[in-house]
Amino acid sequence: MDANPPTNEPSQSDIEAVYLFDFGKFVRWPVNNVNEPLRLCVAGSRVFTDGLQNVVASERIDGRAVLVHRVVRGEDPVGCSILFVDSSERDRASDLLAAVAGKPILTVSDLPDFLDRGGMIQFVLIANRVRFSVNMTAAARNDLSLSSELLKVAVSVRGMPVGGAQ
Amino acid sequence: MNLLVSGAVLVLAALAFFSYDLISFRLNLIHSIETEAQIVGENSVSALIFNDPVSAATTLQGLRRSPDIVCAVLATNDGAEFATYSAPGVAVGLRRRPLPARESEHYWLSGSHLLLAHRVVFQGKAVGVVYISATLTEIGQRARHYLLITMLILLFCMVAALAISSVSQRLVAQPIISLARTARGVSRDRDYSVRAEPSTASTEMAVLTDAFNEMLQQIEQQDAALSRARDELELRVEERTSELQAANRELEAFSYTVAHDLRGPLDSISGIAFLLSRAEQEGSHPETEEMIQRLKQSTQNMAALIDDLLNFSRASTATLKKDDVDLSAMAHEIAKDLMDSDPERKVEFQIAELPSVQADSALMHIVMDNLIRNAWKYTSHHEKACIEVGAKLQNGKMIYFVRDDGAGFDPQRADQIFQPFHRLHSKSEFPGTGVGLATVQRILTRHGGDIWAEGRVEKGATFYFRV
Repeated sequence: MDANPPTNEPSQSDIEAVYLFDFGKFVRWPVNNVNEPLRLCVAGSRVFTDGLQNVVASERIDGRAVLVHRVVRGEDPVGCSILFVDSSERDRASDLLAAVAGKPILTVSDLPDFLDRGGMIQFVLIANRVRFSVNMTAAARNDLSLSSELLKVAVSVRGMPVGGAQ
Repeated sequence: MNLLVSGAVLVLAALAFFSYDLISFRLNLIHSIETEAQIVGENSVSALIFNDPVSAATTLQGLRRSPDIVCAVLATNDGAEFATYSAPGVAVGLRRRPLPARESEHYWLSGSHLLLAHRVVFQGKAVGVVYISATLTEIGQRARHYLLITMLILLFCMVAALAISSVSQRLVAQPIISLARTARGVSRDRDYSVRAEPSTASTEMAVLTDAFNEMLQQIEQQDAALSRARDELELRVEERTSELQAANRELEAFSYTVAHDLRGPLDSISGIAFLLSRAEQEGSHPETEEMIQRLKQSTQNMAALIDDLLNFSRASTATLKKDDVDLSAMAHEIAKDLMDSDPERKVEFQIAELPSVQADSALMHIVMDNLIRNAWKYTSHHEKACIEVGAKLQNGKMIYFVRDDGAGFDPQRADQIFQPFHRLHSKSEFPGTGVGLATVQRILTRHGGDIWAEGRVEKGATFYFRV
């Protein structure tokens, strides 16, 4: 993908894996059960899943164990906390979004029109750096609240509550 | 001096306060910069995590409101510079130092420069380090302010102290100086009538001045008493001298009189002796018997005079042996003697019961004998006479008296009769030596008593005495 990737620089997907994990620190789920692990689900390649697994290793978020899970075709992603839809899974995206609609699952993707489709966080590449945009409306619809810290570093935020109006 | 001391104290106090304030101010400043670092760090967490230096720089811009902060750097965990901030008009020039791995915060102070490093931690994991560099110029400003305020306070205090000291000079020192001047004048001129001016300034000064004046008054009184005593002493010495001179003259007159009175009988003895020897030669003895009688008489007179003189002398020199003396018995005895010696005379004695008196018995006998014999003698020209011996109480003291109704004396010469050899009657009229009453007076004086006489010519005389 990169035009001239420096060999020692982490690749875009590596960064995305790290960010995916870090998003978990800035999201508040309606029920935060310490005993229940945080599930990072990936709808995409096995390579990315393995990369994410490396990032997560044995770390915890808010005291919760973190599990990485690859969502295979036809599988219902209802038990996930975060669902990543890889751009390679473009055809599945709408089905997956429909499946998690109304459920407290943070949806992330690097699909260019992911926010338009009702996704919550969309990676964008700006000046060769991985950034992201946020759709607050979608998150609110699924009972998730995103930290203002996250919004601060977002490239753009949709559905930002203005003057307290929902 | 006082001014210097209080000034030094003030400066020291100001210095102490100033250093305390500077130290606490510096600690406060460091603490506030620590707080800034914490806030910046927390606000930079997401920027660091999601690699957003622009957002981090925006966050760092928030440090603008702290004028002490010169520049700040946000570094990632691996020490790479992530975002920077510098105060307006200041170039970024921050020499970072590695934050010791175990510490979450550390600061380095060099002069007025502070470098603070704060580790940014998110969910238990270090995500970066905030470096803040600050100048402590405000401390210098504060020091200058302090200096200025201290100088002003010092100046004000000096002026106030000067004013107060000038007032106290007027209220206290001036009266004290004038008091000291008065005291010096008094001791120099020995003029104790001077008084210090009463002070109106303060009560303490008034008390001091009063005490000083009181002291002066006492000194003045004592001085007067002293000079009075000296004058009195001089007067007394003069008196004594003239008394002594009089006594001396008296003594001269006395010895002259004694010599003269002794000479009389001697002349007569010598004359009779001459006549007797001539009669012997001529062989005629016409009046031998008579001349021998006169010779006897002369020697008797001389013996009487010598006895009287011996009594007089004894009255002056004999030691007093005091005893209970019964004056009545003494008077009765003397009266009996007299009546036995001349039974022809018709004299009535009225002797009262007199209380006994503490005195020398032998000398009191001389007193009573002289007085009663006097009365006997001076009534001898009267056919009938009455002699009364009595006493009366006057002012708690017993006054004894011997009264007769004989020749009496001229009251104007009453005080002369007690002088030795002074006789108010001629020897031919009433015989006597003129020593008896002088002896009586001397005896009574030696007993602490006195004697005086009342009388008129041919109306009798009364001698009063007290023992």
